[in-house]
Amino acid sequence: MINDEYFLAALRLAAGSDPIPGHVSAAARDVFRLRVPSAITAVPAECTATRGVRGPEGPHMVRFVAAGLTFDLEVTFGDGLIDVAGQVCPTPGDGTLVDVRTPHLTLSRRLAPTGHFAVTGLPPGWLSVVCHRPGNAPVQTRWVRIRP
Amino acid sequence: MHDTRDPAELLAAAAGGDQDAWDQLVSRFGPRMWAVARSCGLGESDAADVVQGAWLRLLERLHAIREPAAVGAWLATTTRREALQLLRKTPHSVAAEPPAAPDPASAVLEADGNRLLWQTVSTLHEPCRTMLRLVATDLGSRQMAQRLGVPIGSVGPTRARCLEKLRTLISLQETVQ
Repeated sequence: MINDEYFLAALRLAAGSDPIPGHVSAAARDVFRLRVPSAITAVPAECTATRGVRGPEGPHMVRFVAAGLTFDLEVTFGDGLIDVAGQVCPTPGDGTLVDVRTPHLTLSRRLAPTGHFAVTGLPPGWLSVVCHRPGNAPVQTRWVRIRP
Repeated sequence: MHDTRDPAELLAAAAGGDQDAWDQLVSRFGPRMWAVARSCGLGESDAADVVQGAWLRLLERLHAIREPAAVGAWLATTTRREALQLLRKTPHSVAAEPPAAPDPASAVLEADGNRLLWQTVSTLHEPCRTMLRLVATDLGSRQMAQRLGVPIGSVGPTRARCLEKLRTLISLQETVQ
């Protein structure tokens, strides 16, 4: 079974009438600077504690798990921007830094003793969090698209 | 200077931190990813978002692509999945699991497949031959109906029928090969 989208894409590609815009290629090249060497990637996990608790207009809850760490992210929209309040469990220890990243902006925070962190005013779109623990490999969450 | 490294070599080099290798992957495979995103019916802004997402997925898995030689097909498959995820209008696309292996169907996007596709289109009878050429130029249904001399209501069914014929012919050729 051949998907129509691939057929249509091949036809479009050959016609050359809709070339990839330069800014899209530039953004793709820029993605590489977001590489975190030796990072472990945390994958999405069911967030049963909060499922069904929030209404459709409330914060979005996302959980990621890897290397014995759990990332719980609560994403809130306001004025076209997003705020992220998160917690890393169990608390990795002193000196742990968290980077909350979008393709255009990275905000770094020192993790509180409780494992909490928060950032505000990020642009909507792709988002990932990296936890840098002294003496351990960094752990990054999978990229997630956040939209109002 | 043109980089002659094959996709698997470029992927390995990018995984080792080589920005030039990454840029080469972008040059080689970006255009087909864009075409896939647009073929899923996305506007320019959403298509740009989806293509960027597919590159981010590759970045997450630089060391974990099972078939490095087929990274182009993997990127096309990932782009389609991200596009379909976006079309479902979920507030966050965390559920879009990156594919373990590329869709076999994405092979039609390879250079040889592309040539075969156009050769096959040229063997079709009208209105399919013209229809499929018009599909590739992004004409709206009204303009397409005018060019083909058919009622606007028959554009969608004709398009589906022509794609089905093309699919059958390509499948037959693949069977013969």
